[in-house]
Amino acid sequence: MIALVALLLLAAPADESKYPAPLREFLSAKNKDGSPVLSENDRKTLAAFPDHTRNLLGAAADSVILGSAAHLKILLSLELAPAAMEIVAQDNCILCHSDPGNQKAKHLFSTDPAARHANPLLNLKEFVSDVHFRRGLSCSGCHGGKPSDEMMTKDIAARWPAEEVRHSDRSWIPGFCAKCHEDAAFMRGFNPTLPTDQFAKYKGSQHGILLLQQKDSRAAQCVSCHGLHGIRNAKSRQSTVHVQRIPDTCGSCHSDPKHMEGYKLADGKPLPTTQVAQYKASVHGKALLEKGDLGAPACTGCHGSHAAMPPAVASVAQICRRCHAQNGMLFDGSRHKTAFEQHKWPECETCHGKHGITKPTDALVGNTPGTLCHDCHSQYAEGNQQCDATAASFRTALDALVAGRADIEAPVERFAERGLDVEPLSRTISELDEALVQTQSKVHTFDLSSFQAAAQPGNEAVVKGRELIAQTRREAGFRSRGLLAAIGFMALIAAGIALKLREIGKRRIT
Amino acid sequence: MRAPGEMPPPRKGLYGFIDRRYGITPLVDFLAHKEVPIGGHSMVWYYLGGITLFFFAIQLASGVLLLAYYQPGEATSYESIRFLTTKVPFGWLVRSMHCWSAHLMILSLITHMLSTMVLKAYRTPRELTWVTGFVLFALALGFGFSGYLLPWNELAFFATAVGTDSMKAVPGIGEWLLQVMRGGTDVSINTLYRFFALHVVVLPLFTVGVVTGHLLFVQRQGMAAPMAHDKPARGMKFFPDFALRDLLLWLVCLIALASLAVFLPYGPGIPGMEWELGKKANPLAPAYPGIKPEWYFLWVYQLLKEFPAHLFGMEGSQAAIAVVSVLFGIWALVPWLDRNARASRPSPAFTDLAMAALVFLAYLMLKAWDIGGGEAVLPDPRAVARICAYWGLLFAAVTVAVRLALRSAPYFDFTAAAALQIALHGFVGLSYLAAGAISVLLLAATLAFRIVRSRNAVAVGTQP
Amino acid sequence: MPPSGEAMKRRSVLDLLLGVGVLGFLGSVLYPVLRYLKPLGAQTQNGPIKLAGEELAKLDKEHSVIVRAGATRIVVFEDSAQRLRALSARCTHEGCTVQYVPGDSVIWCACHNGRFDLDGRVVSGPPPRPLDKFSCTREADGAVVIQLGRGPEAA
Repeated sequence: MIALVALLLLAAPADESKYPAPLREFLSAKNKDGSPVLSENDRKTLAAFPDHTRNLLGAAADSVILGSAAHLKILLSLELAPAAMEIVAQDNCILCHSDPGNQKAKHLFSTDPAARHANPLLNLKEFVSDVHFRRGLSCSGCHGGKPSDEMMTKDIAARWPAEEVRHSDRSWIPGFCAKCHEDAAFMRGFNPTLPTDQFAKYKGSQHGILLLQQKDSRAAQCVSCHGLHGIRNAKSRQSTVHVQRIPDTCGSCHSDPKHMEGYKLADGKPLPTTQVAQYKASVHGKALLEKGDLGAPACTGCHGSHAAMPPAVASVAQICRRCHAQNGMLFDGSRHKTAFEQHKWPECETCHGKHGITKPTDALVGNTPGTLCHDCHSQYAEGNQQCDATAASFRTALDALVAGRADIEAPVERFAERGLDVEPLSRTISELDEALVQTQSKVHTFDLSSFQAAAQPGNEAVVKGRELIAQTRREAGFRSRGLLAAIGFMALIAAGIALKLREIGKRRIT
Repeated sequence: MRAPGEMPPPRKGLYGFIDRRYGITPLVDFLAHKEVPIGGHSMVWYYLGGITLFFFAIQLASGVLLLAYYQPGEATSYESIRFLTTKVPFGWLVRSMHCWSAHLMILSLITHMLSTMVLKAYRTPRELTWVTGFVLFALALGFGFSGYLLPWNELAFFATAVGTDSMKAVPGIGEWLLQVMRGGTDVSINTLYRFFALHVVVLPLFTVGVVTGHLLFVQRQGMAAPMAHDKPARGMKFFPDFALRDLLLWLVCLIALASLAVFLPYGPGIPGMEWELGKKANPLAPAYPGIKPEWYFLWVYQLLKEFPAHLFGMEGSQAAIAVVSVLFGIWALVPWLDRNARASRPSPAFTDLAMAALVFLAYLMLKAWDIGGGEAVLPDPRAVARICAYWGLLFAAVTVAVRLALRSAPYFDFTAAAALQIALHGFVGLSYLAAGAISVLLLAATLAFRIVRSRNAVAVGTQP
Repeated sequence: MPPSGEAMKRRSVLDLLLGVGVLGFLGSVLYPVLRYLKPLGAQTQNGPIKLAGEELAKLDKEHSVIVRAGATRIVVFEDSAQRLRALSARCTHEGCTVQYVPGDSVIWCACHNGRFDLDGRVVSGPPPRPLDKFSCTREADGAVVIQLGRGPEAA
């Protein structure tokens, strides 16, 4: 009974007459066309807050920092939990800088900066989801000053370089963030598992060298990738550094020819800007971005993030081996390994490319012009008959397996529609697929005997598949013939009955 | 010829053996003289009852065979059917025939029902034959619904979930009924156990009983003659003439059934009429997009969708169930509602009612198939309503043309009402219910007008 | 009126036709029904998988074997503690067949270096989900039986 009464009390709608006076004024405020500024939804949101939250909002309105009903509407539209709303209500920075009636567009945080053609960094909605804000580090934590300041003070931005230089020379930014993020004891209080070596890594990275040593402010620093007022945990899908958004984040500079103007490769050629486009068309890009396979590498998976540097020739293969260990092992035992080491070629990249790695096809293999084997051998392994022969055998064997598979798969769907048992066939096809993958993998040994050993189960599967198809065809024929026989007998009976009927009719007449 | 009073000579052989013990001669005489009325072109409709019975017999036989291998159970329902259709010799054939025969049985049952409706076979003294027939129709739908779940595949699982959900709408006992049907709050393997018992024991027992009653009525009263020829000049002897023709037709049906079972073992590929085994049911998976019940339930499914969440104070689904119950109630009581037929007068109104019912059901079925909805995942309801309206009205026009060609009395009130609803909903854009309400009101007005006019005519003396 | 000779011949042809038809028809119905009803014996319907002789031999020799169960593959292996286990052999990343690596006490997928522990949980690499577990027991006569089907805890 008591519980019921308590429930009723809790569920009772808040009595608007008990609201702080300024809030009541806002509730009755009207637009130019007579409609109330605060909609039904806004009122409901406001009613759902506990009294304490509303009192804080009232206090903010009292001091006019919460300036108008329209301002309140913006805050209510953020759909904050009471605790978050209380932080906002007590933080004059946020209140003042979100008031459209008070701020110039240049410094206004709004829920849709794009609509106002304002700086996208000043996104209010993003800010209240920011990980720093949520853990209690608000404006004053970085900008200086105090949340209770009602006006701009000298303290604000005092820790930063002067306004005139701080945008053109950004080398202060990494050190500034590192003040907290490098301090392990400090960070332990917030997230003990977060690494604190980002700055150290950054200093050795290409971006770090450019920015800190060469004072090149075009280079990326913390803000370039993580954003500013809407930083989220990297595991969150909305984070700019979530693995699925990394290609676009890196691409915002690296795909922009204007931004990348002037940078050169080691051999003097200009730095390309096609990497992201190539990546998105690559098998890794498709896996990550289209199939949603979070195990596929983005830029950071091979280049690193804070320590980003193009991998050295010797280390490319090591990076690929992190996932493609099997093929790496096969390659290690092969004659190509010594050859590549002599030529100082990056192992995997030489054949497969780096950014635009496509799914390798059998067309790469062979000894005809156009295949990788031939194009390379004709230059570097001239006259070496064994190389050409091996390449040719590889190709023939693979083609035979693929053709066999196509042959076996072709009638399966028709068989299934006829209700025939296609399970043994499907099983054989999947066995064949596995054998095919293993065989293709064995190409990396560049050794005919181990390749052929792997191809053997595949060939056997093709033979078995062909047998199964013949068997299934025979069964289909048996069914059709059986039906025909049954229909034949039934037709005989039908004919007999028809004749009998005719006879009965005749007999009746006579 | 024997002289009166003279005892018939004792019969010889097996017949004599049985006759002396059970006195079957009167029965045999009855059968020997049984006649089927011959009347113009309605001869062909008389075979439909037998065809329905034939398909039912196939269901019984194939069903018993399936029982030898089917095992209800979470780990065995789907697997046993897969085993049956792939490893058991001719298992594919038994299952395929069972599925095809089910649909063909319901098709012939509905055609049989419509033909008795048009021929007014339900008129006095055959009211109970109609009622038992109606019960058989309901039992057949029950067979279809319960049997559909037994393979325990994705399609069946979700179709059953959607179908049993509508039980909630029954007033008062709705929630209880839902739980009893499902064996729990959600569709689970317990639902399958109950449906299995229903499908294999309860429904067959009831059906055999009601069929026996239905057939006994027909035997005792003879088959109804079409009204224009109430006292037929001739009848066709049942044995052997009609029986042989019946048998011939059954053979043709068997040939058709066998061919369909061999060449289209998973159905004709029309949504609502396909039974590929597919994937095993996974209660945790999200529902199949485009899930549809079997074709004979499509009209109820679509009708339920047309009702809004709340209507006149009750839940939309409850209102829908109420409407469906009223429609079924009218249908069951047709022998008593049709005063003209009771007095053996021509009753074009009820022929028209039958055609209107067809048009009504056809339109709902077409809409349920989302014809004209386009390629998007969610078909555009306006476009569907409009395109289906073209087809629905075409169908209505065909029924009218056929009836005019057959020179039946020009009564089209009900068909007009059905067509009006289609036109209002499909072309003018009114909601299905609003269009229906308007059509029903106009229909009621027309019927009232007719009744008043006929009463006046009686008073004035121009009509008997 | 006794039927004429013509009629008699017609009737016997008719009877022959009917007789052949009926017998043939009955045969074409009875033959499938009888073959259908005859139990298949060795083939188990659906339900536990018993390891065949050569599969058992492989298991004893190499401590693991991959068996086919309907459309799925299962890896049966004996860990260092002599415990018999069965996991789905289909890697949850791209579907390659995994293998048991006794030395590392790990289930390894060669395609992209995915690793699972012996309970099927992902240890490293791209696989997004753990491997399904199956209950696997060694019977008194030495046979190894795997229980398929979902149900209250299969392991």
